[in-house]
Amino acid sequence: MIEVSHISRTYTRGDGTPVPALRDLSFTIARGEFVTIRGASGSGKSSLLNILGCLDTPTSGSYRLDGEDVSGQDDRARSHIRNRKIGFVFQSFNLLPRTTAAENVELPAVYASGEVDRGRALSILARVGLADRADHYVTELSGGEQQRVAIARALMNDPPLLLADEPTGNLDSTAGESVMRLLTELHREGRTIVLVTHDEAVAAYARRALLIRDGVLAEDRQQGGMAGGAA
Amino acid sequence: MNPGRTVGLALRTLGRNRLRSFFMMLGVTIGIASLTALASVGEATKQETLRRFRNMIGTFDIVIVNPGGPRSRGMPSLVSAPPVLKEADARAIASEVALVNQVATTQFAFDIDVKYRDRSGSPSVIGVSPNWIEVRGEEVVLGSGISAEDDASLARVAVIGEDVRRQLFGDEDPLGKQMRIADVPFQVKGVFAPRGVGPGGSSMDNMLVIPVTTASRRLFNRDYYTGLIVQLKDPEQSARAIEDIRALLRERHGIVPPAEDDFNVTSPAAQVARVTDVGSTLARVMTGVAVIATLIGGAVIMSLMLIAVSERRREIGVRRAVGASRSDILLQFLVEAATVSFLGGLLGILLGVGGTLTVTTLTNLPPAVMWSAVAGAALLSVAVGLLFGLQPAWRAANVDPIQALRS
Repeated sequence: MIEVSHISRTYTRGDGTPVPALRDLSFTIARGEFVTIRGASGSGKSSLLNILGCLDTPTSGSYRLDGEDVSGQDDRARSHIRNRKIGFVFQSFNLLPRTTAAENVELPAVYASGEVDRGRALSILARVGLADRADHYVTELSGGEQQRVAIARALMNDPPLLLADEPTGNLDSTAGESVMRLLTELHREGRTIVLVTHDEAVAAYARRALLIRDGVLAEDRQQGGMAGGAA
Repeated sequence: MNPGRTVGLALRTLGRNRLRSFFMMLGVTIGIASLTALASVGEATKQETLRRFRNMIGTFDIVIVNPGGPRSRGMPSLVSAPPVLKEADARAIASEVALVNQVATTQFAFDIDVKYRDRSGSPSVIGVSPNWIEVRGEEVVLGSGISAEDDASLARVAVIGEDVRRQLFGDEDPLGKQMRIADVPFQVKGVFAPRGVGPGGSSMDNMLVIPVTTASRRLFNRDYYTGLIVQLKDPEQSARAIEDIRALLRERHGIVPPAEDDFNVTSPAAQVARVTDVGSTLARVMTGVAVIATLIGGAVIMSLMLIAVSERRREIGVRRAVGASRSDILLQFLVEAATVSFLGGLLGILLGVGGTLTVTTLTNLPPAVMWSAVAGAALLSVAVGLLFGLQPAWRAANVDPIQALRS
């Protein structure tokens, strides 16, 4: 699913000095894996997530997503890849304000060719347990509900990869657990999930844990993983 | 994203922030309203001027020859006109200038006392050749006009205007009645259809006509004319006809340079153009001001959009994350700017048309809404939106989604 090969990402500070964020990073993630990426702030894990999400391109090295080399693509092509192959889940939900839950879920379909399928949006909302919240404005929903709307939105175009960045960071433990259970279920259904967190409890859900330190891959280990379950 | 959806999105976004949308529209609305109203009122004024000229002159397919040099002003009357235009001149113009179809002759006098029983008035009295009614396109609604026999026999007959009919005869049938013009008895032969007001706003119906032969020999004792109305074979050729008539009359009157003409030849179209030109210079200046107002409206849209872009960074980031490309975002904001500007323009057009109809109703002008100006205003408002939306849209398209999503 993901093949990262010798990627580096160097930012240029205002005065022109280069600041390396990622250095010669290589790993692969197979289709259907549930992987966490951990690391202290400033470790480079956010830079890595931005590249994996096609929001940024590596300075050098190659990134293949679903068999396609995406590291050299232009904005339009990368936007298309985000639209079709990646579903984002953010710490701060990032729902559109003054918009209903269903409209938020439909958003990725707006940028895909073809018609927006309200029925599909509603069935996904039902899948995340929010069938009765479709016409609620996002401000009328609890934090846990908002994050589930965000997950529903990530599923709208049926992407093979979900990228979650601290999805429970803004939630209380109950709501956080229900979000993690939902992600676990989605993993069982065959979706590849990459989860960035520094919460040990959340990281424990994954079968595999990557640790980024100072821009390099410091650790790559298999673990029990609550998500593994019967699989 | 398809275009229809983009417009729909723009409308919803604008609807969510009504107050800001209102202020975005305001400048464009005012500018477009003034543009529409100015153009339409200008057009109405022009049409009204034309109409009044037509009331006075009757037709535009003619050339008018008046006595007096090119700088003489006002309507020549028997009191003021130099005695230079003679019957022989009229005949020469009709027979020697190839572009001329026929010539009507007139003797104009005002302040002539007319009486019927105990009622009196002082209308314009015009001696006219029998073809005058045809050349001017006048309509006789009651009785008949001046005939060739009337002209040949110096008949004491009159065809009266509507004001004279009302003033002297009231409800009475005027046909066949004896009236006195400057104490000479005349028989009423016909009544003209009302003509309305002339360019100065005075009634064109306070007049009567008598055969020009009767006027010269029985009433005024003058052998010269106050005007020749020359009907052309081809109205398009009026400039050439004017030159030919001028050359002929100069020769006949023995005028050699540097002596000035003792007559003037004009076309009514030229007179109208002179009058409406004054109006349109003013209109151009005011139109310029209205265009500037519209542009200021565009600048307001730009500044409010720039604020909106920084407030909507998160929305932009979200849209980018779920698959919007830079050009999708650019288009979204451009369409939003064009839509708000167009709506402002639309409101301006409604206000402008409403204002025009109010003004024309209050001032008795014909209700002329200039649809070409309305269409132009609509286009202008869209163009202003696109132009002034460009920079905000560009800025929105270049919002870094990574930064925007992190906040």
